[in-house]
Amino acid sequence: MFGLLDISTSGMIAQRTRLTAISANLANRNSTMPDGTPYRAKRVFFTPGNPNAATSDGQRLGVHVSTIEDDRSPFNLRWDPDHPRAIKSGQQAGYVLESNVNSVTEQMNAMQATRAYEANAAAAEATRSMVNQALRMLA
Amino acid sequence: MIADLANAGASPVLEQMMRFTAQRQRLLAHNVANMDTPDFVPLDVSPQSFQAALRQAVNARRASGKLDAGEVATFTTREVERVGNGELRLRAGTSSGNVLYHDRNNRDFEGMMQDLAENGMAFRVASDLLRREMDVLRVAISQRV
Repeated sequence: MFGLLDISTSGMIAQRTRLTAISANLANRNSTMPDGTPYRAKRVFFTPGNPNAATSDGQRLGVHVSTIEDDRSPFNLRWDPDHPRAIKSGQQAGYVLESNVNSVTEQMNAMQATRAYEANAAAAEATRSMVNQALRMLA
Repeated sequence: MIADLANAGASPVLEQMMRFTAQRQRLLAHNVANMDTPDFVPLDVSPQSFQAALRQAVNARRASGKLDAGEVATFTTREVERVGNGELRLRAGTSSGNVLYHDRNNRDFEGMMQDLAENGMAFRVASDLLRREMDVLRVAISQRV
């Protein structure tokens, strides 16, 4: 019964990781990578199962972050011909490439992650009260 | 003697109920944890089918006619299996019903939370009643010694 809390905790950890990625996306929306390309938004992917659990039964349940990948959507273009990094030639001449972070999408994702975190906390709370109930039987 | 005491009255039935709800809580927490996992299929077992099997076992126990009928007979359903020392093992099926989202996850948030609350209440009822039984036993023992 004590392994039960691991499941909800794994969910909380996964959602927190997602929220961290969202914060990083928002913080870096005007950043440029060392190679000169704009920052690409990071996306967190989950997979069922929790490799950190103590028992094999516990490893089957729960959730963990499988990968964090770059968002492959195209960069945003901003018209600014005097910008030092403006594209010099071609169809997009005069435009500056900006990161593909969409702050509205990130806000929505942040809300979703927060709610999911709360749901896991509620599940953990329910589990905790069940454990308490079982323990009270001894007293 | 001890086994007779522990298996008196409704205790064994309540014990099965607590074991089942505790095991089911794992699945419900698993579903909540995987709320945002793409391609995730929620796992669940049906409390109704467990209760139906339990009811049959209780009726069989009652039909034996003895006052101290002892433990509830072992039963195995499609979803619930009793392994050694009374432990229940659940073979979770997939619960369906809600629409499939774009990440191919058919989460049903309200349903999950409702199941979680109901499961907690079922556990609470079983554990409260079992505690009463224990209290009665304790009173009986203290009068005797």
